[in-house]
Amino acid sequence: MARRPSTPRVVLTHVAIVLVTIAALYPVLWVLKMAFSPGQAFSMDLNPIPTTVTLDNFRDVIGTTDTQGNWLFGRQLLNSLLVSCATSVVGLALSTTAAYALSRWRFPGREQGMNAFLVTQMFPGVVMAIPLYLLLDAFGLLDSLTGLVLVYATTSVPFSVWTLKGYFDTIPIALEEAAMLDGASRWLTFRAIVLPLARPALAVTGLFSFMTAWNEFILAATLMGDPLSFTLPVVLQRYVSDHGTEWGHFAAGAVIVSLPVMILFFALQRHFVEGLTAGGVKG
Amino acid sequence: MIVLALTAGAAEITVWHAYRGAEQDALVEAVGAFDAQSPHTVRLVEIPFGAYASKLETAIPRGNGPDLFIASHDNLGKWTTMGLVEPLSVAPEGHLAAALDAVTLQGTVWGQPLAYKSVLMLYDPSRVDHAPTTTDELIAMARAQTVDGRYGLAWEASEPYFHAGLMHAFGARALEPEGGAKLDTPEHAAAMAFSRRLAIDEGIAPAQPTGALIGQLYDEDRVTFVFSGPWFTADRGRAIAAAPLPVVSATGRPMAPYLTVEAVYEVPGAAEGSGELAAFLARGEGARIRSEKGGQAVSDVDITSSDPLLRTLAEQAKSAVPMPSDPDVANAFEALARSLRAVQRGTSTPEQGARDAQVYYDILSRPLPPEADPRPWFALVGLLVVGALGWLGLQLRDAALRARVVAHARDYLWILPAGLSISVLVVLPFVTGAAVSLFAHKGGEWRFVGLANFLDIALARDWPVTSPLSFVFTLGVTLLWTSANVALHVSLGMALALLLREPWVRLRGVWRALLIVPWAVPNYITALIWKGLFHAQFGAVNALLGLVLFRGGPVELDWFASFSTAFCANLVTNTWLGFPFMMVVTLGALQAIPRELEEAAEVDGAGRWFAFRHVTWPMLKPALLPAVVLGSVWTFNMFNVIYLVSGGEPNSSTEILISEAYRWAFSRGNRYGYAAAYAVMIFGVLLVYSRTANRLVGEKVI
Amino acid sequence: MATLSFRALRKSYDQTLVLHHVDVEVGDGEYLVLVGPSGCGKSTLLRCIAGLEEISAGELWIGDRRVDPLPPRERNVAMVFQSYALYPHMTVRENMGFALRVQKRPAAEIEQAVLEAARMLELEPLLDRYPSQMSGGQRQRVAMGRAIVRRPDVFLFDEPLSNLDASLRHHMRVELKRLHRRLATTIVHVTHDQVEALTLADRILVLNAGVVQQFGSPRELYDRPANTFVAQFIGSPSMNLLPGSGSGGEVRIDGVDGTLPLDRDGAFTLGVRPTDLVVKGEAAAGLAGTVDVVESLGAEALVHIQLGPHAVVAQMPEPTPFSAGDSVRVGVGVVHAFHTDSGLRL
Repeated sequence: MARRPSTPRVVLTHVAIVLVTIAALYPVLWVLKMAFSPGQAFSMDLNPIPTTVTLDNFRDVIGTTDTQGNWLFGRQLLNSLLVSCATSVVGLALSTTAAYALSRWRFPGREQGMNAFLVTQMFPGVVMAIPLYLLLDAFGLLDSLTGLVLVYATTSVPFSVWTLKGYFDTIPIALEEAAMLDGASRWLTFRAIVLPLARPALAVTGLFSFMTAWNEFILAATLMGDPLSFTLPVVLQRYVSDHGTEWGHFAAGAVIVSLPVMILFFALQRHFVEGLTAGGVKG
Repeated sequence: MIVLALTAGAAEITVWHAYRGAEQDALVEAVGAFDAQSPHTVRLVEIPFGAYASKLETAIPRGNGPDLFIASHDNLGKWTTMGLVEPLSVAPEGHLAAALDAVTLQGTVWGQPLAYKSVLMLYDPSRVDHAPTTTDELIAMARAQTVDGRYGLAWEASEPYFHAGLMHAFGARALEPEGGAKLDTPEHAAAMAFSRRLAIDEGIAPAQPTGALIGQLYDEDRVTFVFSGPWFTADRGRAIAAAPLPVVSATGRPMAPYLTVEAVYEVPGAAEGSGELAAFLARGEGARIRSEKGGQAVSDVDITSSDPLLRTLAEQAKSAVPMPSDPDVANAFEALARSLRAVQRGTSTPEQGARDAQVYYDILSRPLPPEADPRPWFALVGLLVVGALGWLGLQLRDAALRARVVAHARDYLWILPAGLSISVLVVLPFVTGAAVSLFAHKGGEWRFVGLANFLDIALARDWPVTSPLSFVFTLGVTLLWTSANVALHVSLGMALALLLREPWVRLRGVWRALLIVPWAVPNYITALIWKGLFHAQFGAVNALLGLVLFRGGPVELDWFASFSTAFCANLVTNTWLGFPFMMVVTLGALQAIPRELEEAAEVDGAGRWFAFRHVTWPMLKPALLPAVVLGSVWTFNMFNVIYLVSGGEPNSSTEILISEAYRWAFSRGNRYGYAAAYAVMIFGVLLVYSRTANRLVGEKVI
Repeated sequence: MATLSFRALRKSYDQTLVLHHVDVEVGDGEYLVLVGPSGCGKSTLLRCIAGLEEISAGELWIGDRRVDPLPPRERNVAMVFQSYALYPHMTVRENMGFALRVQKRPAAEIEQAVLEAARMLELEPLLDRYPSQMSGGQRQRVAMGRAIVRRPDVFLFDEPLSNLDASLRHHMRVELKRLHRRLATTIVHVTHDQVEALTLADRILVLNAGVVQQFGSPRELYDRPANTFVAQFIGSPSMNLLPGSGSGGEVRIDGVDGTLPLDRDGAFTLGVRPTDLVVKGEAAAGLAGTVDVVESLGAEALVHIQLGPHAVVAQMPEPTPFSAGDSVRVGVGVVHAFHTDSGLRL
């Protein structure tokens, strides 16, 4: 195991990894540079490190208030958090039972059901915004965060089912049999044995649902009518208009929007490999 | 009764707008002044600019809209057709004639004009003491200013709105008074030729200028003259002066920009008092506040501002041409923009540009397909439903199957939440959206056309198959796009994963964490950044190429001038976005493969490559396939990158199917039906692809 | 009150019959071992008892309850899985208490039951560990403990010792025996190891290819195997089988010089346990053969002898006077006779 290849190979490999990492981070550093530099200009030189550092852009973005003096940014951040967290929870609630059933039981229509989940991934979103608007309008869910959560959660279901089913497939069935002999019902077995064991996959799928909601703006802008109910990505769009982009504000907003996702990404990194892999195992 | 009277007397009036900064503050103050003297309360709602038009069009017809909304007049034609606006309840008076003209359609005045804007000549008073009055003078002065990395002149030359000044000075126009556009004229060709001369040949202007770039150049004291509007002055860090646009020396006529009028409109069923509020905002006190606090050029004739910028605007307004409010102008603009870009890149002569613009305009504004009889379709749908039910019934006649269904009855409960929500919130909207493909829409007019949209697309009826607009061409690009991306994602992701599991690589955890960053940042942000990095003159990519290839020599490769480079720019961006997912999936899959297997192969005498090829890869493949299939579906529909990076340039050749669908729906005359037909065909292609993928692999992928 | 009875039980997957007509009655508190080669259906039978597999025909009774229509959790059986199936996210304490928690018993009672079982299995110091922090033997005991806490009507053991090393397996075998004595509960134990079967069982059920070969006490099976399969499966080394034909008080073996003084006429299969083979010098009477290999096991030796075309094994105390290449005569003590074609005991 402890074989070490020749020194040139080691050096070359490290150089390659460092170069790729720099390339991966370069555009992101750019965002940071514009966010921390004064002004609203698009940075134009090779150097991605800001020359003058200021928090003005962040102050502007965070300090946004509406005409009634409500702290708009705070509300919108709260909206984003609420919607995204609720989306992960609802998304998981909708997909775990389905993924478990598809993983464990061979009922008629199972294959077709799995195909149907995949097929919904192929719907181009372009045509769906207006029908969704009509639908939510009919249910009285327009302009409400609940409506938005339902739409996002449902959108995230197919991928979640796919990932979770893959993971459930890897949990030894003997554990569930043991629980059933211990007197647990199917539901209790699922809740007390399967779900705790599937934590890595739940974390990863939950994060993906979270991201779906956290980054989306087209539907949010269409379905929400009031700045008090907008989510952050919608608000970011206001810095990009016909008359030019306020790059400083946009970048500062982008940093704020990306930060929670980055934190979650790093916190859940450990689970990623595990949670996603299993999704790759066929079943 | 008293309560009723009170509520009837004191309505809440909701006003939508997209103002920002000083203009917004002024509007708030003006509304406050109205509030103070009226029993009504006003709620101002700021809608993000990008979502504004589509929100108006979806919300108002369903009664979810505001009572009043503020917008510039150029979409008025569409709104009146769609019934989004109501004739004013209080007639406007005392406004500039040009402003009133702009909001008048078929003899009816639809909006209270608030303010007008147009392009002006802006200049740096510290560099020159006066503005040129003719283009010859301008060129001379600008040449003198173009030294040491400075530019004499900058404007968004390929945007028809900014080109309009020259266009009108040469006697050309976007739309004919009787309707339709004549773009294949010597006047248009002359205007394009002169635009190219100013923007390129004279060497006085920067390449690929966008509003933000020009603003930045100005702030860095690198440009002297700018053709832009009053908004340009708002965020400037340096002093700036304004003058009317110069006279074009060749024709002796002044550059006549478009005049856009911002007005406040009443929505059908607007609350009581809305009309009064609109009138209040437009004239007198309301106008004064907006002029003084908001720096707006108000159309109230009684208010003359002392602000030099506003005075210049008033001066310019006299020669300006009201922006047409016919929805058809969008088609003319898109056609002109394409030709302007081509002429400025030198890929087309001005004459050719004018001809192409006409051809393209004719395509965009082509008539709707003939109306079809919907009755056979009802019958067909009915038959399909009956057929499907019958088929299900037949299946259930199999007693064994029925018994299994009954035995597993409770299993279905577990699928129910997901199944139900997807049916209602995903399948239903898609089917509804797809059904739109049987209709045609243009500028507010709907028509049932049966399969005409599909036939038009499939048979390339309106243009040759080789045109970038044809479905086959775009499908080809999309397939190339998808396969190139997936190949790069998988190879790069896998290579990194293989390296990052070597125990002798230092800081493996750190690299792994940093390499997934591109995945974590929202892609609409990074796509915009990449677009900036690919800028011909100021982009980091060219700077880097110059550094590496020419030891710091300048590289001004215009990435979006040819298909191959524009495609590359898109590809680089999307590879950057997509490789981390594949890397993580591969890392996971590798964990399941014991290192001993490869080591055994190596002990048996296999080289590293051979061991990978014959041991690792075969074991990796089944685990990666589902991710590849899913990844290719996502890439196939990766709208953001195409739309934000290349934007389809050059000449729509780098568009993929999904972005084409978007263009037809939202920028090429709102042909929703046509766009829906595209969406259905995209779905069909993907369906075939996933079936084939399953078959090719010879086993179930997902 | 927990007898276990299989009444005309059958089990098939699709068209394949995997258990033919199992009709067996197990007494209360009895230790039943299901034994057979792999794939014989013994694990399937166990899973049928647990309710993890449905039976295709017949009935299954535990005490006076017919359980085959019941789901697993209503059968009141406890199972120890071959993989132990310990819940990896629960401590030993939680694992053992899980079944009682499911029944919503008071916490104090659960704790009490867990402690009692832990004491019995010497698991007390491990109660707060997770399965991943324990050795194979410890996990095995936890799996046992989890079953004990339940106080079920029947214990089901699915190859519980197969993942342990030899010495631990021997130790646990003794433990199991002791445990059974203390609990006095019906146990069904599946194994492919005949030693486990002989040492642990009150009664053994031998299965082959889904068919019951014999059901009886270890002694009965050893002394009176019902057929050549059982004869060879039970006892180690296996019983020697030779094709014999007898007439007039003498039995000859095909292709072997010499006779055996046995009173049986006609062709039959002669079965002799290695301990019942008597090996003597060249001069004595009996079947003529040559010593092929001598394996010494310390106190005893296994002498492999080539009798004409047949190979037999004799077990005798060490030191043995024989070595490879010696010509010997072989006589017999207790013999078994089986039908040549059906293999049934005559």
